[in-house]
Amino acid sequence: MMSVALKMLFGDRAKYFGIVMGVTLASMVITQQGAIFIGIMTRTYGTVTDTGQGDIWVMDPKVQQIEDIKPMQDTELFRVRGIQGVGWALPLYKGLIRARLDNGQFQNCNILGLDDATLTGGPPGMAQGSLSDLRRADAIIVDEISANTRLAKPSPEPGGRPIPLKVGDTLELNDHRAVVVGIGRSTRTFQSLPVIHTTYGRATTFVPKERKLLSFVLVKAAPGVDVESLRRRIELTTGLAALTNQQFKDKTVDYFIKNTGIPINFGIAVGLGFLIGTVITGFMFYNFTLDNLRYFGTLKAMGASDGVLLSMVILQSLVVGAIGCGLGIGIASFFGARMANTPLAFTMPWQLLAIAAIAVAIICVLSAMLSIRKVISLEPAVVFKQ
Amino acid sequence: MIRTYLVPLLALAGLVFAVVKVVQAAKPPIPAPPVVEPARAPYDAFVAGSGLIEPSTRNIALSTPVGGVVTSVLVLPGRDVRRGEVLFTLETRELEAELAIKQAALSVAQRQLDALRAQPRPEEIPPAEARLVAAQAALADQEAQLSMWENVQDKRAISSDELSRKRFAVDAARARVAESESQLKLLRSGAWSVDVSVLEGQVQSAQAALDSVKVEIERRIVRAPLDVQVLQVNTRVGEFAQPGPLATPLMILGSVHPLHVRVDIDEYDAWRLTAGSPATAFLRGNNSIKTDLSFVRFEPYVIPKRSLTGESTERVDTRVLQAIYAFEKGDLPVFVGQQMDVYIKSAPLQSAPPAPTSPTTDAGAAK
Repeated sequence: MMSVALKMLFGDRAKYFGIVMGVTLASMVITQQGAIFIGIMTRTYGTVTDTGQGDIWVMDPKVQQIEDIKPMQDTELFRVRGIQGVGWALPLYKGLIRARLDNGQFQNCNILGLDDATLTGGPPGMAQGSLSDLRRADAIIVDEISANTRLAKPSPEPGGRPIPLKVGDTLELNDHRAVVVGIGRSTRTFQSLPVIHTTYGRATTFVPKERKLLSFVLVKAAPGVDVESLRRRIELTTGLAALTNQQFKDKTVDYFIKNTGIPINFGIAVGLGFLIGTVITGFMFYNFTLDNLRYFGTLKAMGASDGVLLSMVILQSLVVGAIGCGLGIGIASFFGARMANTPLAFTMPWQLLAIAAIAVAIICVLSAMLSIRKVISLEPAVVFKQ
Repeated sequence: MIRTYLVPLLALAGLVFAVVKVVQAAKPPIPAPPVVEPARAPYDAFVAGSGLIEPSTRNIALSTPVGGVVTSVLVLPGRDVRRGEVLFTLETRELEAELAIKQAALSVAQRQLDALRAQPRPEEIPPAEARLVAAQAALADQEAQLSMWENVQDKRAISSDELSRKRFAVDAARARVAESESQLKLLRSGAWSVDVSVLEGQVQSAQAALDSVKVEIERRIVRAPLDVQVLQVNTRVGEFAQPGPLATPLMILGSVHPLHVRVDIDEYDAWRLTAGSPATAFLRGNNSIKTDLSFVRFEPYVIPKRSLTGESTERVDTRVLQAIYAFEKGDLPVFVGQQMDVYIKSAPLQSAPPAPTSPTTDAGAAK
């Protein structure tokens, strides 16, 4: 009987493609928009992801998110270092700096100053050079994407491709000479500004003079020390805010969700995808069932029970759902893979696929319910009416 | 048949592709490991601070007592010098010339004194003696004439006037003898002692003037004030060395046995320190290079922390207690002026939720 159901489904090619198309569209929109939303949200804490060497971030209590820098006094580093259970504590400078490009334009950049002695907090990967090259005079590491785009040198002939920044080139940072000693692979940030890594001491000489310079203190718990209790102890002792890596990420995401229209935007897009998918699929499937009503009637007249007919309809809806869902997330992830090296944010965790699958299942159930009502209430005699 | 299964196969491929992408993306970027592992404190409870290595004498910014052009620099940085060893010399040509003048003046005064002391001149004695003999002879002659006149029996034969004149002549001759005798005596007794002492005073004064020039020359030879190491040499032959405190000292000296570490402790943490607590210092850039420190003293005056912002209008609102610790350099590759991360053992914080060691025993150990 089930093969009959499948034959019925594949036999009506136009309807079959129509239904699959509806499910595909819905799952594609949900997956793709969701992935972009998650991608953007992940980017907001890109710096936290890249700088995961420690367990705890210590910052001014009024800091709302990673881009919100409220510097502290340099001696706070040593206060944190003196707290029981702290394995190591290192300074991290984070700020904005203006780079002057060869064509005379200015480009704002994120600058990260790593502890001079240990160079903790470098980019997760290096395309050229090595992190220890930061020990050289005036050395900086530029992220790969901006080296090829925003910080690239203008083409010698008008209209040509810009020349990517490479090791050995110099940049002018706030009137200071800086030498590129490495090209790093950093996670993009929300603002997608170029990321420059250098040492803490050098960063503080590059940036305009400020009295307080220490942006963050990275803390690693001593072996065997509970991170959560150490975090609370740091807050109690110093009066600063101390967050674990995950807490800081959550705090940053929360800030963006509460203070920007991004979640509403993407929520509407996903909702529309779901709605349109449901409507198209529902009507097509209902239409398909109506067209095939005489076959169901014949089967019913031949003695097939309601249960058998029900499972036939469910099978049909599951098959189109599975095919459409597979196509949809396939297209979405293909799109994501093609966009991997562009500024577009695209992150697809397994939870998103599960959500897409659940959404498709709901669409299928809703569509099938309409049809099932029709099939159950079908009188076998209807076959002989025509 | 193929057309029937094409779409489901495509769907399957899409699903597989998506799953592969998800699995790939599930691996978050691994943060770059530090180039050098950060130092970890060797104590359960401790106060951390940044330390600056300095000589145990602190930096001696060498000054010259007088200004002048440098004519020779006899030491290189890094050399250990003994107290009194010459470090550099200044130009002294004018003083050398003055020295010659003063030497000449001394020798003049000395010779004048010698001349006075050499009196009487032996050649002057015989004429004086001769004059005495002549005077004595003249006296004898006058006396003989007088006695002849006095022995005349008939007083009328001689005029009383003539006789008295003879008597006066004898008196005059006697006086001349006495004069000659005293002149001979004066001559024989040589120079007057008062004259000699005047000239002796002049010689002393000339000697003192000469010594003062020598001291001036000596002041232009700059020597090590203590047994120290030459840490920096900022003066070169031909340059003018100015006296007084300079922004860039002529030389920086200091004793490096032992070395001291000046540790800045935030005033909020200062109460946690106990005098004599053990401490460990880690060299920046390689945490395997560490050394145990022995407590020397606290600087009893809490100072504003020196910020490196270089802003002339900056305000200071952090003050730091400085603790001085000592260590022997030995084979450690450390230099004066280098920074170290210092951990000083302390009693655990009372407010800290879990306290693995009891505060009383730890405080006792710190003492």
